[in-house]
Amino acid sequence: MTSAVKSSASRATAEVTRNTNEPRLSVEQVSYAYAPNPQQAPVFTLEATSFQAKAGEVVAVLGPNASGKSTLLQIISGALPPLSGRVLLNGNVTHQLEPRTRGQRIAMVQQESQLLFPSKAWEFVLQGRHPYGKSLRFESDEDVTIAQNALAQVGAEHLADRWMDQISGGEKQRVILARALAQQPLLLLLDEPTLHLDIGAQVDLLETLRRLAAENRYTVVVVTHELNLAGEYAEQVVLLQKGKALRVGPPASVYQRDLLEQVFQTQLTVETGASGRPRVSILPGPQ
Amino acid sequence: MSYRIPIHLRRIAAIGILFCVALFFGVRANAEQANASAARGSFRTVSDETGRTVRIPVPVRRIISLAPSVTESIYALGLENLLVGDTDYCDYPEAATKVHKVGGATNPSLEEIAQLRPDVVLVIKSLNRLETVQQLERLGIATYSTDPHSLDEIRTSLRRLADVLGNPAAGEALDAGLLQKERLLQQKLQAARPTRVLFVVWTEPLISVGKHTFIADALAHAGAVSVVESSQDWPQISLEEMVRLQPDFLVFANSHSENVTRDVEALAKRPGWDLLDTVKRRKFAVVSDAVNRPAPRLFAAVEDLARQLHPEVFGESSPLRNANSASRDNN
Amino acid sequence: MRPLTVSRLLIQCLILAIILFCVMVLALKFGAIHVSLYGLGRNLLRVFLGKTSDIATEYSLILNLRLPRILLGAFVGAALSIAGTSFQALLRNPLADPYVLGVSSGAALGAIFALLVEPHLALPPEIAAVFTPLGAFLGAAIAITSVYFLGRRDGRIDSSTLLLGGVIVASLLYAVIILLLTTLPSSNFRGMAYWLMGDLSGVPSRPLAWVLRIGFAVAAVVIYTTASDLNLLLSGEKEAMHLGVDVRRVRIVVYLAASALTGLAVAVSGSIGYVGLLVPHVMRMIYGSDHRILLPAAAFGGAIAVVFADILARTIAAPSELPVGAITAIAGAPLFIYLLRRRFA
Repeated sequence: MTSAVKSSASRATAEVTRNTNEPRLSVEQVSYAYAPNPQQAPVFTLEATSFQAKAGEVVAVLGPNASGKSTLLQIISGALPPLSGRVLLNGNVTHQLEPRTRGQRIAMVQQESQLLFPSKAWEFVLQGRHPYGKSLRFESDEDVTIAQNALAQVGAEHLADRWMDQISGGEKQRVILARALAQQPLLLLLDEPTLHLDIGAQVDLLETLRRLAAENRYTVVVVTHELNLAGEYAEQVVLLQKGKALRVGPPASVYQRDLLEQVFQTQLTVETGASGRPRVSILPGPQ
Repeated sequence: MSYRIPIHLRRIAAIGILFCVALFFGVRANAEQANASAARGSFRTVSDETGRTVRIPVPVRRIISLAPSVTESIYALGLENLLVGDTDYCDYPEAATKVHKVGGATNPSLEEIAQLRPDVVLVIKSLNRLETVQQLERLGIATYSTDPHSLDEIRTSLRRLADVLGNPAAGEALDAGLLQKERLLQQKLQAARPTRVLFVVWTEPLISVGKHTFIADALAHAGAVSVVESSQDWPQISLEEMVRLQPDFLVFANSHSENVTRDVEALAKRPGWDLLDTVKRRKFAVVSDAVNRPAPRLFAAVEDLARQLHPEVFGESSPLRNANSASRDNN
Repeated sequence: MRPLTVSRLLIQCLILAIILFCVMVLALKFGAIHVSLYGLGRNLLRVFLGKTSDIATEYSLILNLRLPRILLGAFVGAALSIAGTSFQALLRNPLADPYVLGVSSGAALGAIFALLVEPHLALPPEIAAVFTPLGAFLGAAIAITSVYFLGRRDGRIDSSTLLLGGVIVASLLYAVIILLLTTLPSSNFRGMAYWLMGDLSGVPSRPLAWVLRIGFAVAAVVIYTTASDLNLLLSGEKEAMHLGVDVRRVRIVVYLAASALTGLAVAVSGSIGYVGLLVPHVMRMIYGSDHRILLPAAAFGGAIAVVFADILARTIAAPSELPVGAITAIAGAPLFIYLLRRRFA
């Protein structure tokens, strides 16, 4: 590990060793609702949901469309204040953190980056250093090193000098992830990162996430609807349906056939795969 | 940390910053104007026709006119020896075209004006911009403005202008001459009934003159009355309104009467216009475009119009269908 | 991987400052009165040393007439370009322009009202001199505020709604202006035609000049401190938020500062168009979209553009002076078309 990465890892480790038995991330009974107009009753997009995660752990948030997955992720990131409940990161309520501090602790990887004007990959990754230092800052050598390492960690150093609008979807995803890593966060959040990737790239990404979580002691929360990827790579799964968390726990306990069939409204079978993790297969034919 | 800045770069940067600071504070030049008070002795304070107080050097040797009507007036007063600059549009008399040009009436070059070192710059409120006057004031150049709205005011204006320029006798002579011609004309027109006219400034859209303009007053002195009762200077009239008003005569201002004849023929074929009696019967009068300038030539144009509208008063035969070429030579 | 450093920033700014200096010298040279560069230098030195009485006549004219006008042009160009760059980043729209948000129409209306009201008030000369620019600035402020409230959705500024609100306000105000210009007595408003096309011949009085300088310095510095934040905003609001940008604060601050810059510029020089729209684009093509260098580059670029356009305005139809806005529009439109084609080529 290079020195810069080591400093990030050691920071994360130091925080953990302070309270080894306490979970780093604690989502406590968070809910969210919005009222389209004052006369109507508010619509609950998320009802009281809780789970906890430790350092180095990968959590998958699963569910069909419109189940509240993205809302949950936004609330965890602190960008969206919950209607009730709270999210604690090492004891701090996330939505009460200063934006700057939040940027140093929580990194979010969204699906697509809509760049208004073209920029180079290294410029993009350097943006991850923004939460550090004063408002008007010029990047230091250390910043550059951290950014380079971030690109290396996702296997994208060769993309550093390329324009963001000229690389493939998978490559772009990696650069976006590198930017998140450059933030040296404690918590890494990803919103459907596998959407536009082919199966090889998907596996690649999840492998990388697991490795990074272990090496750099990140807590990773991934929103996805890829059942098997989640089952393979996550230590914990949160299963949502229409805003309700139906079950939280290790994949083996969550991937129960009748539960999954109820949530996804289709016939499935659940087996145990070679790695000991559950594997879900579809049963084609009329339902 | 890459905040180390090489030493030579620092020096250059310092010069650059100095430049920007100088830019920021603006290079301050409080130099006096060459033609300002220091060199000259005496001044007099007059009040111009817009109510401003103006300090005019005495004697006045160099003047600039920023309006064609003012230029004409200066020549009519015989004071053209004072004129050192006028606008691109000052075309009457012929000699005025040879005077040094300073630009347009509304956008003259301040530098040209300043370079000519005038004692007074003459403007007229209905044509020149207030901004120009303010800028000249800031340069320390005296600006005198006229603002006549009637024939009487034009005469008074001429007299006061001559006085400001240091030759009151010229003004009185011109005024007396114009007044006499005026009186003669009014005597002749006493018995005649005023013709209802529409003064056409523009046909599409139809624009006429308001009741407070000197053109409206000129019409009144020509034995006519403008049918348009508007307070705006250049009111736009709808065709309906024009048909409702049914003027007896249309009046056009144009140096070339053949053009007007052609235009009226074209108008006769247009919807709305063909409902007008005057158009159907081709009852229109053409005066020289001197009528557009509040200057001495206006009086002659008024008389010419009167001849066209009331030929019987002048002992001439039946109403002419259209303008005679004599109107072109009016001055 | 070469991120922007302070020294690189300074070098680029220096180069641009030198170009600006050369253009300003050129502007001083051209005009009705003929001057030589040597004479210019000599007399400028006399000014610096305070020996104002030694200055030759022609040069005092230059320094009293041309130089303030050039400085005003530089100020207006810089202000409009900074505002344009900021609005483009803020609204995430490359077509954003200081005028898009109705600022210039508001200023024009304010100026008209000031012209209407002034004859009826007995104002001391110092206030009378700044009355119209004050009216223009107030008009701009009111337009900005209305557009801001029009552009709010769920309590936050929404880019597209803001743009739409701006366009609506601009056209509404413009219609009111035309209505007033055609119905009220024309003598007061002859100047408005020039004002609406941009006019640098109105050199501001001393107190106004100070207001301009201080306002420009404060607003420009305020915007520059958000340069890194603006960089991130270009990636998207949500992403910027996750990267530690206080999006709400940056939005409001930049909106106000950019509007102030536009209001000041328009109040003294009328509507000079295309500068705030095109200079940021050209500078972005040269320097990239990092606002830490783009903002100063745009400022210099705008100053250069307007001073140069003013040279043309003063010399093309000499001795008449054309309004600067006409030159920038005639040059700007083809350039805009060219840029558009490049982007979509």
